[in-house]
Amino acid sequence: MNTTRRKTFGMGKMLALVGLVIYTAFIAFPIYWTINSSFKDINHVYTVPPSFVPPKPTLSAYRWILGGSGKNALAGSLIVALVTTTIAVILGIFASYAFSRYPKGKLSDSFNFFFLLTIRIFPPIAFLLPIFWLWKLLGLIDTYPALIMTYLAFNIPLVVWILRSFIDEVPRSLEEASYLDGFSFLQTLRRTTVPLIGTGIAVAFALCWVFIWNEFIIAYLLSGRHVLLYTAFLPSLRRGMRVMWNQISAISVLAAIPCIIILIVFRKHLTRMYLK
Amino acid sequence: MKKRKGPKTYLLVIPIFAVILSVVIFPLIWAIFISFHEWNPTVSPERKFVGIGNFIHAFTDPRFLDSLKRMLYYSGFGVILQVFLGMAVALTLVNYIKSDKLRGALLILYLVPMMMAPVVVGQIWVLLVTGTGTINNMLVSLGLSPVAWRGKDLALTTVMVTDIWQWTSLPLLVIYAGRISIPQNLYEAAYLDGASDWMIFRRITLPYLMIPLAMAFLLRFMDSYKYLDKVFIMTYGGPGTASELPVFYTFLVGFSYYKVGYAAALGWIIGLAAVFFMLLFWKIIRRRAIEGG
Repeated sequence: MNTTRRKTFGMGKMLALVGLVIYTAFIAFPIYWTINSSFKDINHVYTVPPSFVPPKPTLSAYRWILGGSGKNALAGSLIVALVTTTIAVILGIFASYAFSRYPKGKLSDSFNFFFLLTIRIFPPIAFLLPIFWLWKLLGLIDTYPALIMTYLAFNIPLVVWILRSFIDEVPRSLEEASYLDGFSFLQTLRRTTVPLIGTGIAVAFALCWVFIWNEFIIAYLLSGRHVLLYTAFLPSLRRGMRVMWNQISAISVLAAIPCIIILIVFRKHLTRMYLK
Repeated sequence: MKKRKGPKTYLLVIPIFAVILSVVIFPLIWAIFISFHEWNPTVSPERKFVGIGNFIHAFTDPRFLDSLKRMLYYSGFGVILQVFLGMAVALTLVNYIKSDKLRGALLILYLVPMMMAPVVVGQIWVLLVTGTGTINNMLVSLGLSPVAWRGKDLALTTVMVTDIWQWTSLPLLVIYAGRISIPQNLYEAAYLDGASDWMIFRRITLPYLMIPLAMAFLLRFMDSYKYLDKVFIMTYGGPGTASELPVFYTFLVGFSYYKVGYAAALGWIIGLAAVFFMLLFWKIIRRRAIEGG
């Protein structure tokens, strides 16, 4: 009895571990292949059999991306994401403070409703169709204000939601002590509350930044020639007879690097955030 | 004290409410108004009132109905695969990988696709599956014939596999966290009683994981019908309409054919259907969890 059980246990373990190896290879291969292709000359991208190591490693793809519109696209995304995230976090601190401290639950309930509506359930295209025509009527397509406002509206709920769980943990007595010492509301917020939720601010900032950086459909519809975003620029690289896969790989690698750094730095918090 | 801070708290939320009302809520309500009209802004700014004509048209539009069927496959079957695969990997990690360092490193690797932009992921996969792409070149060098991964029969499945590649880690993470929060002494007691692995899985692990599994399914399902990034970049709905999902069709109607009224109606139909199914799903899960627990 005991031996048979151990035997099946061994079989199950073997199968599970083989499965794990296959899954790991399945995840790792496309990542590896992108890095591999980004260092290839275009003539080495389509070879039969494919080369697992670049035959003649070259930085030409990166040079092309960083020398031309690729650079502008990455810079545009960086600016839009940074500005929007900064505004979102500042407004988010105020709002989440209010939700956390406001005595009645009504305010935060109605906010949660909007949050569910906007971020989780309705497809973005349902909002973007009217938003696009409104920005168009205002003549604001392809401008920073329209992009930043739109991203702000879609990402503030996330920021508030993250910050709120951190502000909830700050004891009110600290703030009351600060008021008794004669500090104003803003001074108290800056001197007492904000330093205590530093981690929360960092997590909210990082996640919000990644979401905006990676977003596609808003970028595609609202950006253009003046404001170029890399996610909207990417599809244009595949037009033409010969697709420059090494350049596409290079911009993919460049775009993924900041996100992976954020993943490694914030891995514990990311897990917690996704789980909620 | 409360009185002094009362009005201030309201002031604090005005900016975000202003942004959300003007950019999200107002346009959405305006979309209801548009959806009762026929409007092609590229031809004329005039809107023709058609009542609920657009909504009726949606339910007799074969292209929309077909796209709903495809969604059932892509979002339903695809997400179920993600949840099961995620569960298998999560349980393998917890049960058989004893080194914390290795487990942590594997989890980080698995999360990398999730942190990448869906369009970037789509592009990378096109390189792998395109006609003279990496996978076909491998097949050819092994003496096999290349496969039309983005052809009529396989296009939607290829996009689905790409989605599986990017997002299986989310259910994996949710289930992993659920599994490590199950008290270890339950397992020890079961081992002492001589329960088989299957029994332990059925009687301990699975019941505890019901809520995480449902959560993972819901989270992934909602994301998979909402976004059109991968379809846009990998197949553009094609060939023909072979990989056209409802949100992508809505996008084409609104931004390619410029039937803005009809597209607004489609957006609202998809949104309302999603709200309805989400509430229904959540009710069933809650009831089952209460009965089971």
